Amino acid sequence: MNALQARLVQLANQAGRVASLATPSDPRSGSFDDSARARLRVLLAQRHHAACKDLPGVAIAPGVQLVETVDTVPLSGAELASGRLAIDPIGFSQLVFLDTETTGLAGGTGTKAFVVGLATLAPPQVRIRQWLLTRMAGEGALLHFVAEALPPDPVLVTYNGKSYDLPLLRTRYRMNRLREPFGDARHLDLLHPVRRRYRGIWPNCRLTTVETQLLGTPRVGDLPGSEAPAAWRRFLATGETDGVRRVLTHNARDLSSLAQVLCALNALD
Amino acid sequence: MPAMDRFAPAETSSPASAMTHWIKQIQARYEDRITGHLVLPARLGEYAEIPGSLPAGLHSALAARGIRQLYLHQRQAWDAATEGRHVVIATPTASGKTLCYNLPVMDAVLREQAKALYLFPTKALAQDQLAELLALNQAGSLGVRAATFDGDTPSDVRTAVRLAGDIVVSNPDMLHQGMLPHHTKWARLFESLRYVVIDEVHSYRGIFGSHLANVLRRLKRICAFYGSDPVFILCSATIGNPRQHAEALIGAPVEAITTSGAPQGERHVLLWNPPVVNRELGIRASARSQVTRLARMAIRARLKALVFAPSRLMVEVITKYLKDVFDADPRKPARIHAYRGGYLPLTRRATEQAMRAGCLDGIVSTSALELGVDIGALDVALLCGYPGSIAGCWQRLGRAGRRQQPSLGILVASSQPLDQYVVQHPDFFTSASPEHARIAPDQPLILLDHIRCAAFELPFVAGERFGELDASDYLAVLAEAGILHAEEGRYDWIADSYPAQAVNLRSVADGNFVVIDRTEGKRIVLAEVDYASAALTLYEGAIYMVQSQPFQVEELDWVGRKAYVTRTRADYYTDAIDYTKLKVLARFAGSKAGHGTCYHGEVHVVRHVAGYKKIRYYSHENIGYGPVNLPDQDLHTTSVWWQLSQDVLLAHFADPGAALDAFQGASHAVHTVATLAMMAEGRDLARTIASGQAGSEQGGGVEREASAREIGVRDAWGSAPGSAPEIFAPALHLYDPYPGGMGLSEPLFQRQRELVARARALVEDCTCTHGCPSCVGPVMGEPPEPSRSPKIQALRILDLLAAP
Repeated sequence: MNALQARLVQLANQAGRVASLATPSDPRSGSFDDSARARLRVLLAQRHHAACKDLPGVAIAPGVQLVETVDTVPLSGAELASGRLAIDPIGFSQLVFLDTETTGLAGGTGTKAFVVGLATLAPPQVRIRQWLLTRMAGEGALLHFVAEALPPDPVLVTYNGKSYDLPLLRTRYRMNRLREPFGDARHLDLLHPVRRRYRGIWPNCRLTTVETQLLGTPRVGDLPGSEAPAAWRRFLATGETDGVRRVLTHNARDLSSLAQVLCALNALD
Repeated sequence: MPAMDRFAPAETSSPASAMTHWIKQIQARYEDRITGHLVLPARLGEYAEIPGSLPAGLHSALAARGIRQLYLHQRQAWDAATEGRHVVIATPTASGKTLCYNLPVMDAVLREQAKALYLFPTKALAQDQLAELLALNQAGSLGVRAATFDGDTPSDVRTAVRLAGDIVVSNPDMLHQGMLPHHTKWARLFESLRYVVIDEVHSYRGIFGSHLANVLRRLKRICAFYGSDPVFILCSATIGNPRQHAEALIGAPVEAITTSGAPQGERHVLLWNPPVVNRELGIRASARSQVTRLARMAIRARLKALVFAPSRLMVEVITKYLKDVFDADPRKPARIHAYRGGYLPLTRRATEQAMRAGCLDGIVSTSALELGVDIGALDVALLCGYPGSIAGCWQRLGRAGRRQQPSLGILVASSQPLDQYVVQHPDFFTSASPEHARIAPDQPLILLDHIRCAAFELPFVAGERFGELDASDYLAVLAEAGILHAEEGRYDWIADSYPAQAVNLRSVADGNFVVIDRTEGKRIVLAEVDYASAALTLYEGAIYMVQSQPFQVEELDWVGRKAYVTRTRADYYTDAIDYTKLKVLARFAGSKAGHGTCYHGEVHVVRHVAGYKKIRYYSHENIGYGPVNLPDQDLHTTSVWWQLSQDVLLAHFADPGAALDAFQGASHAVHTVATLAMMAEGRDLARTIASGQAGSEQGGGVEREASAREIGVRDAWGSAPGSAPEIFAPALHLYDPYPGGMGLSEPLFQRQRELVARARALVEDCTCTHGCPSCVGPVMGEPPEPSRSPKIQALRILDLLAAP
């Protein structure tokens, strides 16, 4: 910390900031010379590299990890195949389930999606692809891969995606000066039919509640979504991968639930 | 404001002779109360052609509103703006400033589908201007889409405004908290943003102005991202430095237009001092009673009057007094209306409408009408008290004025020191140029806040500048705190928070305390107290007053920033006993000041609250003490100070105690005139006397320990904390009470001679006999002998500090 930085911290504390900045504790940190910094940078890069190896999936670009899984879930394929979906006609190949994990709930241009998960159907299987951001600089590439992975004329299926995931992703594409790939794609936000049907009947309309009530498959050992941002920050700062792994599992679980909820709602109609 | 005087049915209702006659009448009757009379001669209009390139629709819209030519300043503004030069228009109230920006903006919208952003300091003004825009739009069937965007805009309308608004009318807070952090949603606006219009820029000074300058730095950064580079059109009431102020706000060269081409009738300004009713105590009749009387007389003389009252409560009181006289018959339409914040917008619009139509004879208002709300022309403006600045005075006085007829403004002084100084020194009012508006955009904490917000909006790349500033140290601090993530020369936002929410454009700190009433198990938030004054007002045992109801502080949660109070029936109030220690850390510059010296520099101020006194109401006797155990408040800031050496002081005063008392009185006067000179609020400038060991005068920058006591309504010096210092060299400090300072000490230092001279005149010319709250501050009891009165003693200090 140099003199100006120390002064800034001191003034912020004098002004009574509630979330005060850390006071410089180690006076030696100010005496870091350039070569020591460079050494440290190399060590950090090595640690990061090692940490990425520890993650599931493969690094497909600097800063982007792709995790592909196939999930077999009790999809009632018959119902889907019967074409009784509300927005007929939709082929399986068009349906894209989408869910993001973000760096926070604050919204605005400072919130990023560090996991974008897409799922497509091949009943009874669900094919899940997740792109995980492993460094900030990978965001542009991640968004590019997601855009590439969308089928032509997709029908998006989300849970609260109309007001959360989609606007957030649109912002990210714009921030990276990329064309946003969703355009006028049709969009089934399952939160709305669930709300219409079960508001006031269930205690709330969260996806986990839907799973318990509608699918009869309560989640066990799942990482709460609210802990995802901290898990990712920990990964960036320390290379610790446990949290991020749990986030990926949580996100995959959300995606296959979406597929099941769609079928279940469809069957009810 | 419409450019043409279509609204004035003036010629019939108030002939010139009525006004002239009335002025003569009150001059004759109240000669001893009028301390100054200023006449501004009538001025003819200066006109210019409407630009030929204007789209036909806009041309006919102007014609439909009766506008066939422009005032010269309107044309100058057009020329500058359309040629891409930033421009500030600083002309008097009601000179048709609105058209200065509406014309180039409408032109760009119509011809190039360009977009514009308007910023007004209040929502009411934004509404007003929107109405004006829509009227122009309608007059020419132009199809320009203009809308307000503020906290009241419903969410479905918001989307429409974002996508389709040609002109978005908003305020700085909304830009800061609602638009910039969501700039991707506003991409269409920012991509085609041609003009940014900022009206009433004189109101953006001090902290608010410093914040706005940084919000504009952020706006320009976002515009650059979207490839636009808007032209700024700014409007200001008359201030001393419109160009400099505008340039400081937008961080770019600005052209200034300061001469109005609008015609103006003759204007009279009277300075009015209420009669003295108790000479010993320096008590005068209230400004309220004088203003009420003058308003009554004016309305009886068939003149239309506007009264500016200092508070909402006073608006109601004066309105009642006037209504009792003029609106006694409830069957007739009201002739008197009140106008203030807190009224519903519809009520206010109705009052504005009635005034424009000439249906009202009097309006009583707070400063709400000081800004550019259109109420048409009137004859007399009455100011109940000095509004705090020359510029603000003219802004209000300018409300009276017609194109052809004479008008009158009367400034009625209250007993406040500032008011008394102004009315007793008419030359100050008539000759002084209006104040300079000052901002400190590089104030470290404000900067840190906005760099934080800017990083949320777009990542910073290493070496990127914020405005003209190198941001790297700020970014490093934010990265260290885990708010930003540094990677490969880029700083990305990583925290899970929305920083703009935590940054209030009207304060430096965000550590406010909430006062919670838990009487009978309730939990009601009563008030908020800022961090700096919490230690003085919320210590355990303190009596905290809300609307003059007493509450007692039972528990103070310092870390959680909460004070728990309960209702009480105590017959006393409490007053903190506090000590201020001030240590000079560095001297930036110094010069001789009479027999002493004057410096400005960096200081470290430590405030310690030792305990409190209980004081009984009415008798004011001291009925007990209580201890206070709170952490010391410390503050690094900048200060300007005057100092006299031990030799000089001992040659002129009997003992150190007398010298300190004298310093105290002098500091009161210097503080008063400094506040006046800086267009500051009293709380923006703190004062203290440092007494103690003087370091070597030659060794500039040598640290100097000084202990001091905050001066205020505390008891007299008597026993200074600590032992008597060996070398006695007290110093009178004026400092910015904000961590990091707000940049006031340097300009004060530049004007040190003038300040001492003015303070001297303030004390000398005061009508009191031995000192009063208006000049040297509260005086306890009778002086032992006239030569040792606080007034004489303070004058002695000021004489010693004045240039020979």
